[in-house]
Amino acid sequence: MIVCVAVVGHQNNPLYIQSFTEADDALKLHHIVHCSLDVIDERVNNPSKTGTTLNEAFLGLLYPALNYKVYGYLTNTKVKFIMVTTDLDVRDTDVRSFFRKFHAAYVDAVSNPFHVPGKKITSRTFSESVTNIVRSYSFN
Amino acid sequence: MVETSVGKMLMEEVSPVVMILCTPLVEETFLKNGLSFVETLKPFCNFSNIDVPVRTSGDQLYRLRKFTLRLFNASDIKQPNVEVAKKRLEHVITEAGEKVFHDLKSDPPQITDILSNPEAEIAPTWFQYYNKELIRTLSFSEHEAFDHPVACLLVVSSKDEQPINKFVDLFNTNRLPSLLNDGVMDPKILKHYLLVHDNQDATTERTSKVLSEMRSTFGNNECNLLCTNSSKEGNVEHQANPWASFKSSVSADKLGCALTGDDIVEIKDLMQEFASRHIIPYMEQKVRELNQQISATRKGLRNQIKNLWWRKGKDEVPDSTKGSMYTFSSPESQIRILGDYAFMLHDYELALSSYRLISTDYKLDKAWKHYAGVQEMMGLAYFISDQSIKEVEYCMENAFSTYMKLGRSGFQNATRCGLWWAEMLKARDQYKEAASAYFRICGEEPLHAAVMLEQASYCFVLTKPAMLNKYGFHLVLSGDHYKNCDQVNHAIRTYRSAISVYESTTWSHIKDHVHFHIGRWYALVGMHDVAVRNMLKVLDCGNQSKPTQEIFLRDFFDIVQKTGMKHEVVGLQLPFINMSSLQVIYEDHRTYASLASALVQERIWQSLEDDIIPSLNSGKSNWLELQSKLLPKKYKESNVCVAGESVKVDLEFKNPLLISTSITRVSLICELTSNSDDIKLVDKEPSSLSLGTESSAEHNQGTTSGFSSFTLSEMDFTLGGGEKKMVRLTVTPSEEGILKIVGVRWGLSGSVVGVHYFKSVPAKAKTNKGRRKNKLTPTDALKFLVIKSLPRLEGSIDHLPEQLYAGDLRYLVLELKNKSESPIKNLKMKISHPRFVNPGNHEEEVTTEFPDCLKKGHEKNIVQCDTSSIFSFPKDVSLQGDKSLRWPLWLRAAIPGTISLYFTIYYEMENVSSIMKYRTLRMHYNLKVLPSLETSFEITPSPSRLQEFLVRMDIVNRANSDSFQIHQLSTVGGRWGISLLERVDTILPFKSLLPGQALSCHFMIKDNRKSGTEEDKTMSVLASQTDVKLFTQDDEEKFFDIVNSPLASFHESERSSQGTSDQLSPNTVDFILISHLAKSSNSSGVADVPKILSHHSCHNRIRSSNPLSWSLDGPQTLYHDFSTPLCEIQLKLIIRNTSTGLSSVSFNTTDCLPDAAAPTPSSGNQSGWRYVPDVTEEMKLTSDVMGSRLGKPPSSMESSPPFIWSGLSSTKVQIQPLSTTEIPLQISVFAPGIYNLSSYKLTWELSEHEDASSTSSGTCQGYPYYLSVLQSE
Repeated sequence: MIVCVAVVGHQNNPLYIQSFTEADDALKLHHIVHCSLDVIDERVNNPSKTGTTLNEAFLGLLYPALNYKVYGYLTNTKVKFIMVTTDLDVRDTDVRSFFRKFHAAYVDAVSNPFHVPGKKITSRTFSESVTNIVRSYSFN
Repeated sequence: MVETSVGKMLMEEVSPVVMILCTPLVEETFLKNGLSFVETLKPFCNFSNIDVPVRTSGDQLYRLRKFTLRLFNASDIKQPNVEVAKKRLEHVITEAGEKVFHDLKSDPPQITDILSNPEAEIAPTWFQYYNKELIRTLSFSEHEAFDHPVACLLVVSSKDEQPINKFVDLFNTNRLPSLLNDGVMDPKILKHYLLVHDNQDATTERTSKVLSEMRSTFGNNECNLLCTNSSKEGNVEHQANPWASFKSSVSADKLGCALTGDDIVEIKDLMQEFASRHIIPYMEQKVRELNQQISATRKGLRNQIKNLWWRKGKDEVPDSTKGSMYTFSSPESQIRILGDYAFMLHDYELALSSYRLISTDYKLDKAWKHYAGVQEMMGLAYFISDQSIKEVEYCMENAFSTYMKLGRSGFQNATRCGLWWAEMLKARDQYKEAASAYFRICGEEPLHAAVMLEQASYCFVLTKPAMLNKYGFHLVLSGDHYKNCDQVNHAIRTYRSAISVYESTTWSHIKDHVHFHIGRWYALVGMHDVAVRNMLKVLDCGNQSKPTQEIFLRDFFDIVQKTGMKHEVVGLQLPFINMSSLQVIYEDHRTYASLASALVQERIWQSLEDDIIPSLNSGKSNWLELQSKLLPKKYKESNVCVAGESVKVDLEFKNPLLISTSITRVSLICELTSNSDDIKLVDKEPSSLSLGTESSAEHNQGTTSGFSSFTLSEMDFTLGGGEKKMVRLTVTPSEEGILKIVGVRWGLSGSVVGVHYFKSVPAKAKTNKGRRKNKLTPTDALKFLVIKSLPRLEGSIDHLPEQLYAGDLRYLVLELKNKSESPIKNLKMKISHPRFVNPGNHEEEVTTEFPDCLKKGHEKNIVQCDTSSIFSFPKDVSLQGDKSLRWPLWLRAAIPGTISLYFTIYYEMENVSSIMKYRTLRMHYNLKVLPSLETSFEITPSPSRLQEFLVRMDIVNRANSDSFQIHQLSTVGGRWGISLLERVDTILPFKSLLPGQALSCHFMIKDNRKSGTEEDKTMSVLASQTDVKLFTQDDEEKFFDIVNSPLASFHESERSSQGTSDQLSPNTVDFILISHLAKSSNSSGVADVPKILSHHSCHNRIRSSNPLSWSLDGPQTLYHDFSTPLCEIQLKLIIRNTSTGLSSVSFNTTDCLPDAAAPTPSSGNQSGWRYVPDVTEEMKLTSDVMGSRLGKPPSSMESSPPFIWSGLSSTKVQIQPLSTTEIPLQISVFAPGIYNLSSYKLTWELSEHEDASSTSSGTCQGYPYYLSVLQSE
């Protein structure tokens, strides 16, 4: 199950963070997402290590936290998408397609002329579509 | 790798153990120095350059440089009790926590500082100590050999009775540590004998006797003498106290107070000799011995196979004996001892080979703990001998996971292994991996986990590039663990560091959490001020849920209350102050009657005032110039305000929370400095978040005097969740000087005072003049030059309705008041909409009640209309004191819509101050004018009479709910007489005009200008009448007098505003329709019922389809004696060109007229019949006649009474625009009868302009004109 998705701006400022758990673990997920930014930075600065091509937006598994797996995705505008899942057996292709859909939803949201770039995404439509995307992926 | 910290640590921790056995008297001797015997020796057990040649297994000699001995009292040689060890570790942490306590007060470190710190300073030093202690909890474990005592030092004091026996006693087996006795450790160890001589109270004779006795008993080499406590007084102070670093609790300067420098040298020499002469050679020998033995039994293929077979056989042995499977004498232990000894002698090759040998054995035996221990040692050996990192990694990983597999019992070992590993990784700059090593050894125990997590966090700082997010996260985790173990100091410490990570980010959820918790913890340790400071940062927690916000606020106020004092907080975020909303309203020479007028754009006022204020060029009266001359340059940019008059500041407060918050005593913070000591203007610009207790209260005092030189308004209000409120704050200076508005303060829950300094004020002070705006810096906008108090005019308009109908005419009173004693004069007023408002002429002129005063019969002088829009009050008007001036104003809502009325009243002061000579009072009102009656007029010329016109009036009631009654219709100017064409009852059957109702009615108007030339004198009575009554019920009602002010003046302005391009055209009619609200439809229920409404319609032009109007002028009835058959009648055709173009008209008569207009004279009874048309009915009749007759085919020519055009039958004339021409005509009739003289045709050709480019033409048939010719008697 995907427990959290987040959009983080190019200055590592949170643009959107939404958890999908019942428990009151927002703080924990915030921390996990925040920490994973370090890993993203590391991946981006040392692309040779990751082995992925430069054009690849999908950053792969960022780090396995205690019970979670954190995946990352970096857009051309250095906006980061982070997804935290509790599923342990996840196929990369699934995550890739998840992020592609997520990216499309994000692009729709920021194309709104009333959206201020760099400000938090408050669009209800965006959060609805993200919820739908999250619901449609269970990975198992 | 030896040089790294981990290398040093290994040197210290994996080094030979010396067991100390000493008598109580020895201890007593050394306790004089505040030290035990072991402690006394400890500092001298580290040899940085011992320089001893060593040969172990090979033939190669090498020299040992660094060497360390570990001294333990025999009683300490045992596996530490787990609980005791835990306590000790806890104590280490608590102690460290107490040490950091005073640091906690300071501001949290900046992230840049953390990053720029040298590596060694990033982690607190007590971690090394803690780690060492942690490793020590595992000392003397049974599966390792490096803690086995290598040697034993037996110490006896010279004061002891029978010292030789004591020596023997000391090594009595039942006093030895149990580990040696039950076979874990080899009890056969090197023994060394030491006699301690206390110089203070022992005699040298006895000592030397005992020493010689010892030497003879135990051998010369194995005995030593240590003379100590040479200082009789015991007050030696050591410059660099060698014991200080080992014993921290006692004050360091007392340590070793009885030991002189010589004593220390002696101890040093003793230890050096002991190590180099005895221990190292002993170990060397032991290594060689063991190596030989093992080579014989284990090395070589045969031995290995044998060993393997033997192990296999042992497989059946159950695991239950695992713990004591090996004794010191078992071959496995021997190999392990060999390895450890070799390790300690720095022969890592040998050590490794032994470990390798043994590790397979242990593995086969499934002795996992032993196996892991060996793996761990292999890792260390690999590391320290700079071998491949892969080997190290493999071994450490192996050891770690093996330990972990053992469950709880192995966890401590795993921890140690992890610590080693982390240290090794750090030594290789692999900080990230080190961090994960720390993370792995967190375990379940929170305190332990806290320390490990914190160590991990520092590793993240050291990674290149630093991983600050992880640093922060681990600190937070660690802090939480600390807090769980009540280590609040440490919790605060970690969170404090974490703040530095999160402070600059926008991750508010995390930030709030960190600040809130650290705040609470600070409160726990009693640092309430710091607690408050941290809690303040969470007050702006609008993104948190409501319960969270409530908790935050509740805890915040709890803490604030605990501090028991008032906190003044600069930059308090609750409520949030919207600086862009800041508006300063003040009055210099411009004064405002109301707030609404102050908010009007300055340029509107300026354009309004252009004419009445003295122009800039007039020099002296210009206050700006004057000011610049009179004042130092410094103040040129300041705004001017007058003492005694308040400066208002509008500021928006916003509650960021979901809970409602009450805010008390909101006021401005101001400084007022008198002109004399202006230089002393202190720039108190406190830092963004400084916390003081009522420190800046003196801000609100005038600096010049003890009493407050200005007064401030205070406000209390409550902001609901998320609510915004605009708040008006005022400051009223009471003396001259420079007033600076510095900021705003407010109270929150009684004990917190929020202060906000206006620093970055957007220059939005609305009242700034445009051209000065650029020069003004934000602070200047809040700086005022206070000048001596001046008279200030207050004005208001009484009973000004907010909403009224178009055309509504009101009588209003402008009330002006000057409260000061000095008089004002030269009042002038300008009104933005003269069409709407008309000032009266006299003070309070209306005596009779409005609107009756407007009716005819009230004597009034007709005023000429004042064309200039400036109204000057009479010169003798001067205002002073309590007297108020009431001046009448007429208001007429000219057009529907929303209208902003601006009044500006200019006045000059007597007793003029140097800076300000005049002031203006600005008033602004908004009117909402609703549509009411709409009229339109159509005037068509009368076909028969040139001077008469038919007027059709269309009225529509556009009001939504009210109905109106029409009172009168008047023409303006006296030229046009107006008369009804039908009865009022038929026009208005319901008396009033309902909403939406439209109505048309007809009137006749008559041009009186040329009256007298008309033939019909009967109309002269009506002609002079310019008003028509349009009501029926009350005949007593008088007409409203439209030539009097104000109706006349309003009409004049209507005329000019309704004016069109051709307004000069003389043939236009102006109408005024006067109506009032129907009495029945008092729907609004307000007292504010319009009394009369006047509707002005100007420049109504006479319209007709052709540009000509004409009439035949001649007699209507004629008597002729038809005895002379021909009767010639002279007629005149008057043609008027009503168009603006030149018209050429050709006139043709047709004799054989197809006309049958006249009732056939043949039908008889012609003699008695007369037809005298009545004027009022004529139009209708003619139209009827024409309508009914035209359709008919012409009757026979014979039937019409013959007449002929006997004069001019055809002509062509040019008629100038709007002029009249006459054509003389003549007809001849031959018989009596009624003749219709319409048998002519006018063909006109009109060129609109002179150039005749656009011409139009047409033909008109003549109007019927009936002429009765009668037989004269």
